[in-house]
Amino acid sequence: MPTHWLFLIVLALGIAGWFAARQKALASAGGSMRALHSLPNTYGTNAAIWTIVPALLILGAWIVIQPVVLDHWVSGSIPDSAVTDAGDRSLVMADVRRIAAGLNLAVAGGGLSAEEALSMQADAVSIRERMADLGIAIGTEPTQVSLDAAQKWFRIERVGRIAMTVIVLGAAATGFALALLRARRDVNARASVERAILGLLIGAALIAILTTVGIVMSMVFETADFFSRYSWTEFFFSTDWDPRFQGGSSLGMLPLLWGTLYISFIALLVAVPIGLFAAIYLSEYAGPRVRAVAKPLIEVLAGIPTIVYGLFALITVGPFLRDYFAQPMGFGNSSSSVMTAGLVMGIMLIPFVSSLSDDIINAVPQSLRDGSYGLGSTQSETVRQVVLPAALPGIVGAILLAASRAIGETMIVVLGAGAAARMSLNPFEAMTTVTVKIVSQLTGDTDFNSPETLVAFALGLTLFVMTLALNVLALYIVRRYREQYE
Amino acid sequence: MKDSRIEERDTTMNDTKISARGVQVYYADNHAIKDVDVEIQDKTVTAFIGPSGCGKTTFLRCLNRMNDTIDICRVKGTIEIDGEDIYDKRIDPVQLRRKVGMVFQKPNPFPKSIYDNVAYGPKIHGMARNKSELDEIVEKALRRGAIWDEVKDRLNAPGTGLSGGQQQRICIARAVATEPEILLMDEPCSALDPIASSQVEELIDELKENYSVVIVTHSMQQAARVSQKTAFFHLGNLVEYGDTDEIFTNPQDKRTESYITGRIG
Repeated sequence: MPTHWLFLIVLALGIAGWFAARQKALASAGGSMRALHSLPNTYGTNAAIWTIVPALLILGAWIVIQPVVLDHWVSGSIPDSAVTDAGDRSLVMADVRRIAAGLNLAVAGGGLSAEEALSMQADAVSIRERMADLGIAIGTEPTQVSLDAAQKWFRIERVGRIAMTVIVLGAAATGFALALLRARRDVNARASVERAILGLLIGAALIAILTTVGIVMSMVFETADFFSRYSWTEFFFSTDWDPRFQGGSSLGMLPLLWGTLYISFIALLVAVPIGLFAAIYLSEYAGPRVRAVAKPLIEVLAGIPTIVYGLFALITVGPFLRDYFAQPMGFGNSSSSVMTAGLVMGIMLIPFVSSLSDDIINAVPQSLRDGSYGLGSTQSETVRQVVLPAALPGIVGAILLAASRAIGETMIVVLGAGAAARMSLNPFEAMTTVTVKIVSQLTGDTDFNSPETLVAFALGLTLFVMTLALNVLALYIVRRYREQYE
Repeated sequence: MKDSRIEERDTTMNDTKISARGVQVYYADNHAIKDVDVEIQDKTVTAFIGPSGCGKTTFLRCLNRMNDTIDICRVKGTIEIDGEDIYDKRIDPVQLRRKVGMVFQKPNPFPKSIYDNVAYGPKIHGMARNKSELDEIVEKALRRGAIWDEVKDRLNAPGTGLSGGQQQRICIARAVATEPEILLMDEPCSALDPIASSQVEELIDELKENYSVVIVTHSMQQAARVSQKTAFFHLGNLVEYGDTDEIFTNPQDKRTESYITGRIG
């Protein structure tokens, strides 16, 4: 039975359970809702949850786990003599999966019976042609080994599919029966539904956390692979970045890190004063009408896709800086430069700084301002000496968050900063960042088994650790600040 | 009203410090203060009493133009301090507030050290030429605030780390450090325990030697203890104003009597 049918049947059963349990609970109380422990709808929801949730969980788990298990079994059954090394085995397995999928399609389409599919021999007819007749394309003519494996795959998958259908339907039916049995007037269905809601919420939180863990793990494994092929001291401390795909490349990250930090520094130099001053104006000086217009307008900046900022850097800011600053002053003649990327990224970061700072400044209690005005200080004295010091930890947090955005920013630097890995102090020279190099190492047709491609993961992990540290620091500072005023 | 003014002249030898005539305050459409006339004397403690929402605090905040910081608030009528209209266009509210200090309901020390809290006003007004002068001003203010002995060894500790009563006395010291002529206190004891309250009350009693003190309070006992003059506000009207003893023992108005005997409020 196809999976979507199974899914629909379970859902239908759940809906049926809802009505049945509701009906039965009402009947158990003699039709009087007040005699019930919980609302009739709650009994219905409880039954629906018991029917649907376990069944769908099993279904989901099965769909995820079955291919993994199959892969393991089938791959183990391929004789070592047929493959030369691990890489070869994975190629054969890719073939096997393709043929098995072809067999599946053929049987499902009715062009082939299951028995025929299982008894096919590689030497008899050209399987590739046979499949092509049925409208199914297979890349190369399968060998006997891969055909055997594919047939094994096909056979186990068929069995697994039936088992899955039986177990899922069984789970749904069991849940249905149990919930219906418990749809009585003295059963606390509300508590059970509450627990289900709690479970749902915990599940959502867990998915978010587990995804982070998963991302980190995948980065860590690939990075470990990279460091097994390339010296970590070279990677972290070499100032030479020169990847060559024919081998013998130097992969020192320092020039990239330098570019990243230099551009971020300029971006913050632009974003922090402008953003902070804008925030002070909006929260301390602007009237409610100006604020209602100006705040959303500034936040529009945050909604511009970074690739659009990149275009702005590429076609407007870059040539402008080159023609009016870099060339006349003899700093160079490259339109993509640290300055270009830094300025544009700074503009992008303004709303981050201003919006967060604005919230934080607004959180400073009015009583502090009153106290300062009451002593005869002017507005700017109050802002400088009372409001800003009180808001400082939060503002520092906002700046750190903006910094971690700057470090991880990709599109603006791809288009604005250039691609030359170089360590120079001249801000009008093209440099490059960690993110740009991750993109360039992974674009194109590459397989992940050379240091030149794997270095991207090491770079990514380094970047991740840096931004994570900044975020943790920012959160720590912001949290300490919050405790002061609550 | 007229009677009480005559009594004023009889019972005091002090000059009028603040003179308010026909004061109206509106919050948007809400008429918060209705036609208030009052004369507040120098070197006297004047208490404003009345039920919540009667306009005591609003009127108090008119006296140093703190209401300017509220957008929707409009003030009409004249308020003169030493014969000068404080709502005149030529008057800078910042200068005015230096002359008319204020202590708020909730202690609001700045997130700075104790020393910097007290030195804040003198610094922004350039009252000290050097560090030692500033030290003197701070010490004098803290002594006047009756808290010097408690904090003299930790002047660099944050002001926010003190107890509520200590914080409030720091705020009072902060207010007197700029040497104002009038001190406005908006329920200065409402956030304090009885011991801290009595410390603040003693302080108010001492402060009246040098300043004209106006205090808003919800506690009639406190008004009776610390003030020489009392004004009773009700629904935005100044109902009765006169000597504290008179107000509490022989109120002229029915509403005053009801309030002090606890029947309205």
